[in-house]
Amino acid sequence: MTGLDDPILPTSIAWGLLAAFSVLWVVLGWWLGRRNKTAEDHMLAGRNVGLALATATAMATWVTANTTMTAPQLALQLGVWGMLGYSLGALGLILFAPLARRIRELMPEGFTSGDFIRLRYGKFTWRVFLVVSLIYAFGWLVSMAMAGGVLINALAGIDYRVGMTVILTVCVLYTLLGGLRAVIGTDFIQTVIIIAGAAFIAWLTIDKVGFEAIHFNLMEERPELLNLLFPAAIMFLFNNLLFGVGEIFHSNVWWSRAFAFGRNVGFRAYLFGGLLWLPIPIVAGFIALATPALGLNVPAADMVGPLVAAEVLGLTGAIVVFIVVFAALASSLDSLLAATSDLVTRDIYRGHIRPQASEQHQFHATKVIVVLLGLVTWLAASYRGELPIVGSLAELLYFTGAFVASAIWPIVAGLYWQRANPQGAAWSMILGSGIGLASYFLIGFYVAALVGAAVSLAVMVLSTWLMPRPFDWGRLARPDGEVVA
Amino acid sequence: MTISITALSVIVIIATLVASLTPILLIALFIRDWKKGCLW
Repeated sequence: MTGLDDPILPTSIAWGLLAAFSVLWVVLGWWLGRRNKTAEDHMLAGRNVGLALATATAMATWVTANTTMTAPQLALQLGVWGMLGYSLGALGLILFAPLARRIRELMPEGFTSGDFIRLRYGKFTWRVFLVVSLIYAFGWLVSMAMAGGVLINALAGIDYRVGMTVILTVCVLYTLLGGLRAVIGTDFIQTVIIIAGAAFIAWLTIDKVGFEAIHFNLMEERPELLNLLFPAAIMFLFNNLLFGVGEIFHSNVWWSRAFAFGRNVGFRAYLFGGLLWLPIPIVAGFIALATPALGLNVPAADMVGPLVAAEVLGLTGAIVVFIVVFAALASSLDSLLAATSDLVTRDIYRGHIRPQASEQHQFHATKVIVVLLGLVTWLAASYRGELPIVGSLAELLYFTGAFVASAIWPIVAGLYWQRANPQGAAWSMILGSGIGLASYFLIGFYVAALVGAAVSLAVMVLSTWLMPRPFDWGRLARPDGEVVA
Repeated sequence: MTISITALSVIVIIATLVASLTPILLIALFIRDWKKGCLW
C-alpha cells in the first residue's frame, strides 16, 4: 500500500480529530468498565448483551479498514463484481448465526473457542487449534495496526509510526479499562459513525456526479468494470467468501460474542448484523466507479475512496473519511485485542501455565496480557518489511488464509456431527494449513484458502467415516470439566 | 455482458438506502432495549 504525495487532510485538523476521538473512546471505555469485578464481567460483559449492542458489535468488528478502503479499490480494479464480491463477506456473519445459537445452547458457561475444541476434541487437537488461531489473530492484529499507521499517514501526512502508535495505544487503553463491555459500547457508536459517513459520501457522489455520467464514462474508458463475466472478479468472489467464513467460524472474536450475547440474542444479532453489513461494501465501493467521470488520476488504487470523497466534498469529505477510517480501525483492533487476550489468558495461561488460577487472578492476568499483546503488535508493526512475513497488509492477510480455512470443517463438524473424529480434526487443520501454505508459495496467494479448506474437508470426512467417535454433548456444558486426551 | 445503467442504479440506491436507514434502526433498537432494561 502506498500513500499519496499530498495528504488530503491538513495535519493540524487530523491531530484535533485524533485527540478528540481518542479521549472519547478512552473515557467511554473507563465508564463502561467501571463495574467489572470478575474475569467473566471483563471477558464476556456479563453474558447478557442485548440485541442492539450485539448487532452493532457484529457489524462494527466486521467493518475493518479493509472494508472502507479496499472496497473502493476492488471496485476500481474488478468493477461491479469487486464491490458485490466484497459484500458477500456478509455471508460469514449470516452463516455464523445458527452456530452462535448452538454454541450458546451447548456451552452456557463457555469462555473461548479454545474451551470448545478442548472439551470436544481433546488436548492434542486443542493445541493444534491454538497454534492456528493465534497465528491468525496475531496476523490480523499486526495488519490492523499497520493499516492504522499507513492510512493516517496517507490521509493526513502524520508519520507512519506515530499514527500506528496512537491508534494502538488508544485501543489498548480502553480495552484494558473496560474489557468486552468497553469494546461493545464503543462499537455501537463506531458502527453508527461508519455507516452514516459512508452513506453520506455515496449520496453526495450520486447527486454531484450521477449514474448517467458514471456509466457513460466507464463504458468509454474502462468498459471491463461493467462486465458481469469478468473472470478475475468471479474468482475473487469465491476466494473472499471462503476466507470470510473461515475467519468468522474459528476466531475467538466471534465466539466470545456468542458467549456474551444474551440467551436467544446471538442468532438474531449475527443474522441482522450480516444483512445490514451486506450493502456497506457496495456503498463504500461504488464511489470508485466515479473516477473516470470525475477525470481523477489515481496514483494508488487503495486510496481511491478518500480521493473521490475529497474531490466531491472537499475538506468536509476528507474529514468524514478520516473519522470513518479511524472508527473502522478502532472497532476491529479493540475486538481483536480483547478476544485474543481472553484466548491467551484462558487457554495458554490458565490452560497450560497456572491451571489453579482463581477467577480474580485471571481478571488481572487478562489485563496484563492485553498490554503485552499491544506491545508485541507494536514491535511487529514498527518493523514491517524487516520481518520475513510481515511485508504488506495483503501478503499478511492472504498468508493466514490457509490457517483459517482449514479450521472451518473441524468447527462445523464439532458442533453438529456427534461422531466427528478428534484426531481427524487435528490432522485436518495440520494438513489443511500445511498444504494450503505450500500452494500459497507454489501456486499463488489466491488459492491458499481454497486448498486449505478442501484438504481439511477431505481429512475430516474420511477420518470420521472410517473411525467414528461418538461424543456426549453434555460434556460441553462444563467448561472446567476433564477432557479425554 | 455489461450491466445496464438501470441495474447499476437500482443496486447502488437500494444499498445506500439500507445503509442510510441502518443507524436509525440501530438507535431505535438501542432505545427499545434501554427502555426494557435489557441493554446488557
